[in-house]
Parts: sequence; C-alpha cells; structure tokens
Amino acid sequence: MKRVLTFFGAPGVMLARTVRAGAREGIPWRETLAQVHELGGRSVWLVMSGMAFFGAVLVMIANAQAKKLIGNVAVLGPAYFEMLVRELGPAVSALLTASRAGASHSAELATMSVNEQVEALEMSAGDPYADLVAPRLVAGVVGVPLLSVLGTVAATASAVLVASVALDIDGRAFMDARYVDGWDLLVGGLKVLGCGLYIPLAAAVAGLNARGGAEAVGEATTEGVVAASLGCLLIDLTVSLAFQFVRL
Amino acid sequence: MSSPVSTTALAWLGRSAMRAVGGVGALALVAGRTAWGLRRLERRELTRGLVQFGYGSLPLALATAALAGVIVVVQAALYIQRFGARAFLGWAAGYGVLWEFGPLLLGLIMSARIGARNAAELATLKVGGQIEGLRGIGLDPFALLVAPRVVAMEVSMLALSTFTFLVSILCEAVAAKLTLDLPVRVFFGTFAQMLSPSDLLGGVVKTGAFGLAISLVSTAVGLRAKGGARAVGEAAASAVVLGCAAIFLLDFLLTTLLSRVLA
Repeated sequence: MKRVLTFFGAPGVMLARTVRAGAREGIPWRETLAQVHELGGRSVWLVMSGMAFFGAVLVMIANAQAKKLIGNVAVLGPAYFEMLVRELGPAVSALLTASRAGASHSAELATMSVNEQVEALEMSAGDPYADLVAPRLVAGVVGVPLLSVLGTVAATASAVLVASVALDIDGRAFMDARYVDGWDLLVGGLKVLGCGLYIPLAAAVAGLNARGGAEAVGEATTEGVVAASLGCLLIDLTVSLAFQFVRL
Repeated sequence: MSSPVSTTALAWLGRSAMRAVGGVGALALVAGRTAWGLRRLERRELTRGLVQFGYGSLPLALATAALAGVIVVVQAALYIQRFGARAFLGWAAGYGVLWEFGPLLLGLIMSARIGARNAAELATLKVGGQIEGLRGIGLDPFALLVAPRVVAMEVSMLALSTFTFLVSILCEAVAAKLTLDLPVRVFFGTFAQMLSPSDLLGGVVKTGAFGLAISLVSTAVGLRAKGGARAVGEAAASAVVLGCAAIFLLDFLLTTLLSRVLA
C-alpha cells in the first residue's frame, strides 16, 4: 500500500515543487537546450529504429491474422494507420524514450546526489528543482511528442516497405488516413504529453532519493527506468480506457 | 586527395564499424565463456538470481501482463467496431498477446529492471577492481558471476512467460466483457477454437530468446565498463538501450521466421 502511494504520490509532489521552483527562480534555458538534446537527440535513433522494426512486425502479424479471416491484408491498412496514430505510436515511442532517457536521467541525478553535488548546489544558493528537474521536465514535454511523431513516421514507412517488398501487396494502403480524425490525434497527443511529463518526474524521484555509494546509482537507475516504463503504460491505458468508455 | 569532410566521415564510419565489431566480439566472448562456465556453475549465485530475477519480478511482470491484456483488447476494439467482427475478438486478442505484446512488453520491462541492475552490479565490480581480484585468486568470473545470471534469467523468463500469458488472457476476457460487452464464453470459444498449441510455442520461444539477449547484453556491457562512478551509470543506461534494441531486432527476425516455420 505504501509503495502504491509512493508510486503515484512522489511524482505529483515532485511536479508541484518543480513548477513552484521554476516559477520562482526561472528556468535555465541553456541547460534546457542541453536536456532537449540529451532526451530527444540521443534517443532519436533508438526510437526510430525500434519503431521501424515494430511497424514491420505489426504488418507481418496483421498478415497472418488476415490470411485466416479476410484473405487480403491491405483491407486492414486504414485501420492499421489509425491504431498506429492513436495507440501504438505514442505508447511504444514513449516506452522506448522512457527506457533511454529514464535510465540516463536517473543515473545522472543519482550520481549527483550520491556525490553530494546536489547539496553543494543548494549551498551555493541554487535550487535543485529549478536547476536540475525543471529543464528535464521541459525537455520531456517538448521531446517525447516530437519523438513519437518521428517514431510513427518510421513505423509507417517500414510497414509500407515490408508490405510491398515482403508481402507483395500495395503498401500504400498502410498510410491511408481515412479513419484518422481529430479525436485520434487528441488521444495520441494526450498520451505523449502525459508520458513526457511523467518520465522526467519518475527519473528525478528515483535519482534524487539515491543515498549510498556506487551501488545506489545502479539501484536508482533500475528504479527510475521501471517507474517510468510502468507509468507510461498506465497513462496510455488510462487515456485509452477513458476515451473507450465515452465512445470517441 | 580527400577533403576534410570525407576524411571525418570515413573516420566516423571506421570508428562505428570498429565499435560494432568490438560489441559483437564481446557478446560472442561472453556467450562462449558462459557456455564454458556452465559446468562449474556457482549454485548459491544461481539461487540468488532465481529469487531476484524470477520471484522478485513477479509483481511487475503480472502488472505488465494485466496492462498488456487490457491494451490489446482496447486496440482490437478499434478493428472490431469497424469491421463488426466481435466474435473473433478472442482469437485476435489471444494471438496478439501471445505473439507480440506479451513477449515484447515483458522483454522491455525485464530489460529495464534486470538488464540495468546486472550491468550496474558488474560495472561496479569491474570499476572497483574486484573482477581482476577474482582472476588474481584463480577464480573464473564468468562461471561465478555471468553464467548463473544467464541461466537464472533464462529460467525466470520462461517461468514468467506462462504466468504473464495466463494473467493477460484472463484480463483480456474481463476487459472484453467490460468495454465491448462480449460474453466471456464467446471470448474463450473462438480463443480455443482458432488458436493452436503452436501459437503458444511462438510466444514462449520469443520470450526465451529475449531473456537470453537481455542477460548476455547486460553482462557484456557491465564487464566492459571503464572509469569511475560515472561509468556505472553509463553502463546501466546503455545496457537498457542495447537490450531494447536487441529485443526489437529479435522480435522482427523471430516473427518472420516463426510464422514461416509454424504455419
């Protein structure tokens, strides 16, 4: 019970403190840019290649399913594209970003707090929330949506390629946006925004609470990655279910 | 007569190629030494690994499985409502979770949890000079530290996969009842009718391959760590990234291969 409360409560407290500190102290823009590069730039190849393989696998599986039922996988194309925009693009991109950025954020912050650099920052009148957490938060909110757009593009491209090369059908059916409407974009957007907000918070909670030696850094990294991934899955599920229940 | 730009590009290409070759070599070395060390497996370390990897991950794995089940149904619901094929949901959702979402999500979560921890632990030992210490007193670090982890990870993943499949299929049935108002009897009807044991085999093979990849990649990354405390964090992060990359690559290869073999 205590762990469940901590899982949901600690990121909330972290968000409130960071927003308050950021509003009071201002956000260091140079550091924010560096974090956008760290979260976005350095994750972009992982997300794009991961999503490309994922898109290819989805088409292979859709093909196996379609063979049993309809016989022509190209019929599923528009629905595939809607599912990618609404559910899988945001969810899997965010999950990949969570493992890449969550690990590096929590390892970095844990190293800083284990080496008492966070205390040193406080001693020199800096605010760790404004100086360390806020830039990562901004980077997450900006970076995760951009990454998920790139990931969705990569998944679509590889689906088109696999369908036309390996399955020998017109692959362009897999980029048919017939079913995609504003609601799908809203669902996808809400998911990536939620995940972008949550990943840095979970990593910061794990990282700043690390105490001890080098082992604590490893522990904090694991904890940060697990919390970030699980949180992203939960956010995706909550948004999907909420929109499923109101039938949008 | 090469311009500076092409020289830099060539240098970058060469460095990347060398890194790739080095990475593959390290992986092959770890795999070979592990197989060699299997005969002198440290029993106590194996038990610790089994408890930590398998039993310790059970809550997380079950939570992931439940989420995966519900997510698959919510996603399948899009297709189902479009094409009016409600009766096929059991089969489609079961196939989706056995072949794709169950193994993939379990692999990614375990790569985050176990891969990061393995790499961090071994990197701490390496950075602290304890691995050299082991070699110095005539003990094989692969038999002592790596082989038990690989075996424990493999056994844990295979055991966890059965639990996760069960839980996610049960959650799917409940989610189908709640969101689509599909009777549980209909769900399991098509599920049992249209799925064959070979479909289950595909998921288990994938999970096993992911487990092997995670343990080999994370231990190789941990043993390559050099430097101070910072290297430990870096090793943990890159173990997660390389683990995820390996999982996606294997996922694609195995889906293509298995759907041909089992069809």
